[in-house]
Amino acid sequence: MVNHVMPSSLKEALSCIQDGTYTLFAGGSDLMVQHRSPAQIPPYFDKNICYIAQLSELKYIKRDDDQIRIGAMTTLEEMLDSPLVPKLFKDVIKDIASPGIRYVATLGGNICNASPAGDTLVYLYAVDAKVCFESLNEKKILPIQDVIIGPRHTILKQSEMVTEIIIPQRHDQYQTWMKVGPRKADAISKVSCVGLAEIKDDIIVDFRIAWGAVYKTVLRKPEIEAHLIGINIKDIGMHIDDMLNRYDPWIQPIDDQRSTKIYRKKVAMNILQEFIETIGRR
Amino acid sequence: MKIKFTLNQKSIEHEANPSSRLLDVLRDEFHLKGTKEGCGEGECGACAILVDGHITHSCLVPLANVNNRSVTTIEGFRETSQYRILEEAMVEEGGSQCGICSPGMMLAAQSLLTKNSHPTEEDIRDALSGNLCRCTGYNMIIKAIIRASKRGEGLW
Amino acid sequence: MKDISTSIPKVDNPEKLSGRALYVSDYEIPNLYYAKTLRSTQAKAFFHVIKPQLPQGIFIIDASHLPQKNVVKMIADDWKIFADVEVNYIGEPILLVIGQDKQKIEDVIHNIHVKYEPQTPIFDQSNIKTHKTFQKGNPQQAFQEADLMIEETFETGYQEQAYIEPQGMIAYPETADKITLIGSIQCPYYVKNAVVEALGYDEKNIRVIQPAVGGAFGGKEEFPSMMACQLAVAVHHLHVPIKMIYEREEDMISTTKRHPSHVTIQAAIKNKKITALKTHVAINGGAYLGLSNVVLSRAMLAATSAYTIENLDVTGDVYLTNSVPTGAFRGFGAPQMIFAVDMMMAHIAKKLKVNSLSFHRAHLAKQHDLTSTGGIFRDPIIMPEMIEKALEISDYINKRKIYDQPTSYKGIGMSLFLHGCGFTGSGEAEHIHAKVKLVKDEHDDVYIYVATVDMGQGQLTTLKKIVEHVIDREDIRIIYLPADTDDVPDSGPTVASRTTMIVGGLLARAALKLKETWKTHERMEIMESYVQPEYIRWNEEKLQGDAYPAYSWGVNVVEVEVNPITYQVDLKQLWSVYDIGHVIDERLARGQADGGLTQGVAFGYLEKMEIDQGRVIHKNFTDYIIPTAKDMAKTQTFFIDNPYAFGPYGAKGLGELSLVGGAPAVALAIEMAIQKSIHRIPVTPEMIMELIEHED
Repeated sequence: MVNHVMPSSLKEALSCIQDGTYTLFAGGSDLMVQHRSPAQIPPYFDKNICYIAQLSELKYIKRDDDQIRIGAMTTLEEMLDSPLVPKLFKDVIKDIASPGIRYVATLGGNICNASPAGDTLVYLYAVDAKVCFESLNEKKILPIQDVIIGPRHTILKQSEMVTEIIIPQRHDQYQTWMKVGPRKADAISKVSCVGLAEIKDDIIVDFRIAWGAVYKTVLRKPEIEAHLIGINIKDIGMHIDDMLNRYDPWIQPIDDQRSTKIYRKKVAMNILQEFIETIGRR
Repeated sequence: MKIKFTLNQKSIEHEANPSSRLLDVLRDEFHLKGTKEGCGEGECGACAILVDGHITHSCLVPLANVNNRSVTTIEGFRETSQYRILEEAMVEEGGSQCGICSPGMMLAAQSLLTKNSHPTEEDIRDALSGNLCRCTGYNMIIKAIIRASKRGEGLW
Repeated sequence: MKDISTSIPKVDNPEKLSGRALYVSDYEIPNLYYAKTLRSTQAKAFFHVIKPQLPQGIFIIDASHLPQKNVVKMIADDWKIFADVEVNYIGEPILLVIGQDKQKIEDVIHNIHVKYEPQTPIFDQSNIKTHKTFQKGNPQQAFQEADLMIEETFETGYQEQAYIEPQGMIAYPETADKITLIGSIQCPYYVKNAVVEALGYDEKNIRVIQPAVGGAFGGKEEFPSMMACQLAVAVHHLHVPIKMIYEREEDMISTTKRHPSHVTIQAAIKNKKITALKTHVAINGGAYLGLSNVVLSRAMLAATSAYTIENLDVTGDVYLTNSVPTGAFRGFGAPQMIFAVDMMMAHIAKKLKVNSLSFHRAHLAKQHDLTSTGGIFRDPIIMPEMIEKALEISDYINKRKIYDQPTSYKGIGMSLFLHGCGFTGSGEAEHIHAKVKLVKDEHDDVYIYVATVDMGQGQLTTLKKIVEHVIDREDIRIIYLPADTDDVPDSGPTVASRTTMIVGGLLARAALKLKETWKTHERMEIMESYVQPEYIRWNEEKLQGDAYPAYSWGVNVVEVEVNPITYQVDLKQLWSVYDIGHVIDERLARGQADGGLTQGVAFGYLEKMEIDQGRVIHKNFTDYIIPTAKDMAKTQTFFIDNPYAFGPYGAKGLGELSLVGGAPAVALAIEMAIQKSIHRIPVTPEMIMELIEHED
């Protein structure tokens, strides 16, 4: 018999999951599909369930000096409504699913679902977001790329819960978000990309590219990005081939029912080239 | 587990498996058949209802998650004056053919107009993006919502 | 009375918008049982079932329970009610598990062990089941005398009807001897006749009732007969009410789809005109023929689309494969052929370096021309006027000048097409024998009794309108309830764009008789039966003569932009001009036009269903992509009046016409945008990338 618990505080929730026998259940937009049963039969869960979507303690968006802190149970819709969420992040969210899904999907849930094609994750990786996760007695903060380690796989223990996401404030002159899906809404990305570039006096001082759906997790390669740091934007065109070559072995999409690896790869490379060219065109 | 929520403005306390799909609870336990199952995976919007006034796919919502919230189905919405304006506009623009998506579309329109009483065509296309229609090609539904938003001054 | 074209509110709007309309899944029946299908996991195998010990209240119904032949009555008799010794496609129904507890049913289904002896499945075109051929004029001579011969091959893929309401059926014992079925169906009498034959019951002991139907598009034409036979056999044995609603994935993998096609066209050109076409079309019937032979016929008959070609050699094959059987889908073979023909015409014009519009116009069919099968286009054809209108509203010529060059990534495409209205050839006269009934009671209320179904196209409104207009009396009510076979005569199936023209035509005649013999406050009953117009001569074996009593015509224009970075297609705007005779209700007609165009265009660039070794790859709404509101663009539709003498108020057919031209229009637009030739649909971004990046 599966036990169902609806904690009314974060502490209660953490106590509940301490014994490691509970599945955390947030908005449900992923779990209800993954555990789906035929109509009129409740979804099948073999573990106890702890419902946390309504934990008001985890629903907030705050600005703290140079970072934005988002409670894990904040929904994508709530993020669209907040003036504190950066515009680029909103552009990403607007392309996700549909209004009904955005209304229930939580940022914490997105992270724990850890899909290699997760659109919010592409943004979070690009901006070096940090994830705060807690158990009853411990609180940890780690960069998102250390929290997600594979498709649907995070380092969180059964007794731990994501509680907050921290996004550093940025001042990029160039930013791009591209979601390539089979249609304009309700689409799982074939390839997605966030690109950011900060320029000072025509010199690139920061350059980041994060890819979704081309690797087992979101792909970011700071060591490759470093090759553009210090480059004058007038000269950036000369570095395009080099950058494409450096990324080439890392962009490893697959063939699946949605698309082909050859398409995903080509489009990923096109997006990179276009972003760099855009910076150079200024 | 007892879940407390408002259903079409009535206070309800319902004992059920909290992971039950809200769609099944509405249809089977409350006999509200206006909410439909088209796909069971949150893609088609035939199961759309309003939770606290916002469009939600009831096939993806466990009963637990509507605890202390208000749920409105088409049966509740159809009693309102906003429904009447939307209905009139849908009739005039031909926004309903086989009707299976219509309750969901009406609620999607209501969800949009509540937040944005004078939406652009682009706003409307986005608001309807979670409701699939196979009969109309959407344009007549969009025109209906524009018409309703113009007519319904003060209602939204 | 106003012109009938003037729109009236659709009569079923209130119930549909408010959620009051009852679809099959909404019916609440006391003591209800549920049925779930156990399906084959093999594409081709012999099998036997090891039935487990069944818990209390759970039953299994399979081929061993069939009182009569194991056949679902359809056009060909090769669909089985339940697989008995062999299975021929993944998903083929083997048995039903029936009970009141859905969880128990699931548990039992998962514990049924099926022993398969796999055989070698066929997935190529080698198993040709049907071959047809017809000729016109002297094609051999024309090819001999030709200046040039151009040959191209075209392919179209599967398309899934994707009605938002999945398939569903309820059957229950109305009395000890009578079984009633309620189903999401297009053809109450197809279902009734199939069940009568499956059970060997007397006709009066099977009743079929139509509820609200949430979209069908052909997918609920013949397929539901199988569900009906299965459930009826179960009710026959168990004497309990049983409901079976398919899950979406189950529906997508196991119900009929549009036939994939391969079309090869050879064109003989003399003096820059096509003098002959040698066309071969092969369609994939899946595991069983069903009605594939009729789909083949319609595809072949469309070999010249809106054009007149003097000499023709048309052949066609249905080949069977061990995958889900294909079946009816709006257009019924015509979309596949018309895609090929329109692309071919454009490609030929390009190869000949002639003005494309002039080339198309030079070949357009004219009144009194011979059709592809040597029949006659008896009625006025207004295509030149329609093309002018389309050019005007879309600004096609100017846009083409600007777009038709490398690196514009913009394109505009035009398709020209026709659709034969009604059943092919003498189908109406020889197979259907449509009947309609009008009853006037003592209160002078008039009841319409027809067996055709409103599945969204609005016939509850249009047929009522026709009767209302003919009777033309202010003080009466016209009542038209959904079909119940206990009450309605067999008006034929809701297919082939025949409802307004044929059934509406019969109702108009019946209404006229009623009006002319009207006896106030007296009960009257008028029955009207289809009589084939004298002029229709058709030889089914040779495929010669008048294939259709009438033709509707269309022009579609689609404008696109292709993203050079992602190769995605963005629809910018769409325009259509149609000749459907006289419009019975302008708003309803426009609704049909919008919806059909959306499906046709999506067939051309968006909807992709792959079946690999018999396994359906795209089997839910996440992976099978139909347009959302964000994907569609503005449309403009015009109907040009061209009344048809034998249609009610001059009406012809519309249902399928609006789907038939969408794919070539969008494909031609994409061709212009990317400056590459297209031979296959759907034109996905992956295909566009291949075409642009790898010179074919």
